[in-house]
Amino acid sequence: MKTIRFSKGFVTGIVFGIVLTFLFLIGFIETGSGLLSKLFGQPVPTNAMPKIFFVVLFFVLIGMWAGSSLVRKYREEPFKDLLPVILVGGLTFGAIMGIVAFIFGSIAKAGIDVRTYLVAVSPALIGLLMLKIADPTIAALSLLTLFTLATLLGAFLEYLWQRRFSDKAKELKGCVSKRLIRFVPQHLFEKPAVKYATFVIALALFILLPRVWGSYWNYVLGTVGIYILLGLGLNIITGWTGQLVIGYVAFFAVGTYTFALLTAPEPHGLMLNFWLALAIAVGTSALVGFLIGLPILNLRGDYLAIVTLGFAEIIRILLKSDLLTWFTGGPRGIRDVGGPTLFGMVLNDDVNFTYLIFIMVLLMIFFVARLQRSRTGRGWEAIREDQTVAKATGVNTFSSKLLALTLSAAAAGLAGALFASRNQFTGPEDHVLLVAINVMCLMIVGGIGNIPGIVLGALVLKGLPEILREISNFRMLAFGALLVVMMLMRPEGFLPAKRPKISKPEVPDSAQALKEDQGI
Amino acid sequence: MKKPNQSTMRTMLKVGKYVRWVLGIALGVFLLWRVVRVVTVEAAYTPDTWLRFGLSGLILGGMYALIAIGYTLVYGIMFMINFAHGEVMMIGAFCCFFVFELFRFLPAPTMTNPDLVFLNAHPFLSVLIAFLVGMFVSGCSGYLLEKIAYRPLRNAPRIILLITAIGASTFLQNAAMLLFGPQRKNIVNPAVLDRGAGWTIQFFGKPVLISYTGAFSLALSTILMIALYILVQKTKLGRSMRAVAQDKDSAALMGVDVNRVISQTFIISGILAGASGVMWGIHMGLVNHITGSLPGIKAFTAAVLGGVGNIPGAMLGGMTLGVIESIGPALLGIDFQLKDVIAFLTLIVVLIIRPSGILGERLSEEKL
Repeated sequence: MKTIRFSKGFVTGIVFGIVLTFLFLIGFIETGSGLLSKLFGQPVPTNAMPKIFFVVLFFVLIGMWAGSSLVRKYREEPFKDLLPVILVGGLTFGAIMGIVAFIFGSIAKAGIDVRTYLVAVSPALIGLLMLKIADPTIAALSLLTLFTLATLLGAFLEYLWQRRFSDKAKELKGCVSKRLIRFVPQHLFEKPAVKYATFVIALALFILLPRVWGSYWNYVLGTVGIYILLGLGLNIITGWTGQLVIGYVAFFAVGTYTFALLTAPEPHGLMLNFWLALAIAVGTSALVGFLIGLPILNLRGDYLAIVTLGFAEIIRILLKSDLLTWFTGGPRGIRDVGGPTLFGMVLNDDVNFTYLIFIMVLLMIFFVARLQRSRTGRGWEAIREDQTVAKATGVNTFSSKLLALTLSAAAAGLAGALFASRNQFTGPEDHVLLVAINVMCLMIVGGIGNIPGIVLGALVLKGLPEILREISNFRMLAFGALLVVMMLMRPEGFLPAKRPKISKPEVPDSAQALKEDQGI
Repeated sequence: MKKPNQSTMRTMLKVGKYVRWVLGIALGVFLLWRVVRVVTVEAAYTPDTWLRFGLSGLILGGMYALIAIGYTLVYGIMFMINFAHGEVMMIGAFCCFFVFELFRFLPAPTMTNPDLVFLNAHPFLSVLIAFLVGMFVSGCSGYLLEKIAYRPLRNAPRIILLITAIGASTFLQNAAMLLFGPQRKNIVNPAVLDRGAGWTIQFFGKPVLISYTGAFSLALSTILMIALYILVQKTKLGRSMRAVAQDKDSAALMGVDVNRVISQTFIISGILAGASGVMWGIHMGLVNHITGSLPGIKAFTAAVLGGVGNIPGAMLGGMTLGVIESIGPALLGIDFQLKDVIAFLTLIVVLIIRPSGILGERLSEEKL
């Protein structure tokens, strides 16, 4: 039996109150209920507010979340023991929201526009928070009731779920995963006919899809592919070798600009062949990575992160400055970057580009997958786990790290060249630090050090925002929060890298045994 | 498989060392040549201009130094780069903005002047309140940052802590943007502390203006630095901080509450960053969500420049970086829009030539 304290109710209520107030202040209430409305098949027209029903639904869902988080760990106690705590939590949550609604309602009633200081809080948004009730006091009281009831409901449902269904659900999940996910494919995939059939289907899809679904999806998928390349490249140095590189965008910029300068008619008029320029771009990026790594990599770990960060900033400022306008085109960027050609054919449309990026991604995946299992790859992972031990077992840590950085820079160069060629344009704004942070995010979300994880991460982080256009304002905020939450909850990512483990002998935990003896 | 050639690798290591020396000497010669040329041959700037550059560098350096101390304190104890530290400074600058805005509209009429507002009626009280609010809120955010984001990861690999810090930084920056809007906000100072006002001194026959805000910032940052030095060297808290920085486990055995000390370190570094943010607001007069990011990175540069983990080093590094940044472009004869390039180049060059910084001793491998 665990004892549940009133303070837990207070804390939960206050935390949820602060979070929802924050969501209100940044205007997410409108977006959230708009999404709900879309989910129910009633998309909100532009410049209109979602219906009040969906706002209430949004509030009820958050209230239920608060309630369920209160009782999650207490399935043994009778419900009436938990009731006071749930009530305290719900009342605290409701009171905070009521006070917020009262304050903003009174301000709006007095005719003061707070948008000078809080840009998102428009009178219409305040109206949503107050559930379109004109009088602030009544609105505050109804919010108090709403959140208390929603918390109670959520807690009750969660309790019921925990008591009645959670064991059964777990059993069911176990059965399903055993039967469906493990049993079926393994037996099927061992048959060569099925293997070839899957391969053929995948190939057919891969050839047909870009032709069928139109240029917008080709564009989105091309972006995803370029980010997969970047993610795989960063994974070599950060995921496997364990050296943090923050300014990865610097190598990307080197690749982009090398390629663009070599193929564009302005400012130099070189107009080289696509493949030659691609090779030179990759080579230049690799060389830059090598030169940066040479003096830095045998120093302490953080220094690489800082130096690349500084390098990325330098490159961005230089590209924007007047000093290099004659060489790089300055803030206006470079236009008419050359497209790919093959035996004299110009392959410049979006379908061919999707093919090209697909092929590059497949080649890259093949390359890094082979690399990971090689002696070099195992050396990298040894360095990540423990540099001293790796050194003692015969890994030359310095040259291994240097090789990793060079390869990873080369991958960024490849991605950069493809990026410039596809967009037919590149400018300083394509190379802000945000790109590097996005790449790091996708690597971490997917699963650091794991190739399928990176592909998944790129699909999720670069593909989803295109589908969920409503949340584009909140994307970076969500990224930041996601990074912290992922690191706290699941630092290995959604698809964690599998590592061989040595099984430990079963030893009874003496501290645990002692605790059990004392009945704690 | 072929065995790796040992001698090539050894040569490469040696090359790395030589690159460092060659770069250092070449850079020194080049700098000397430029300085001599700019000062004697080109004579592009008169002495009073140099003094003006130096002064603005010192003022900027004071703010950098305060932020850099926060980086150094946290690095010394947890060996992590707190990337969200610049955002804590941004929070301080926003506090300054809101306090001044509040007082700007708070009427405080007197007999002679019925339109007088609180900001102009009690300018020093307003500034004091702005500082107290800024330092309090920033200290709280430092504490919450540690409590929510970093404490659960106390024993995690450092790369995870770093990524968390980057995430926290992105979150705070975008939260500020969504809350207060992306445009820059003007901070209206009390009339006494007008940014154009100041003492004029004669230097080589030319007037040089020392603005009140600049002098105030420089004085206050000096006072805060001295206070911090006394705190770290003389008080019990400072002693426990130094003990935890040296060895967490031994400190815990000696009866130091390590978690508490780490929290207090984050609070102190938050307070200093907040003070620096308020100064930034008063002196520079503009604030938006990215106010903190560039000074944050530069302050980290300053911390590395002085020797990371070393408090006098951070102060010296901050001052040096401020002066380099404001004199550098003139000295090298390049455009002033490239001053950030000079700051970052300084960082890279210092890391290559003297990785331990100006005052830092070589950190041992255990601190990796």
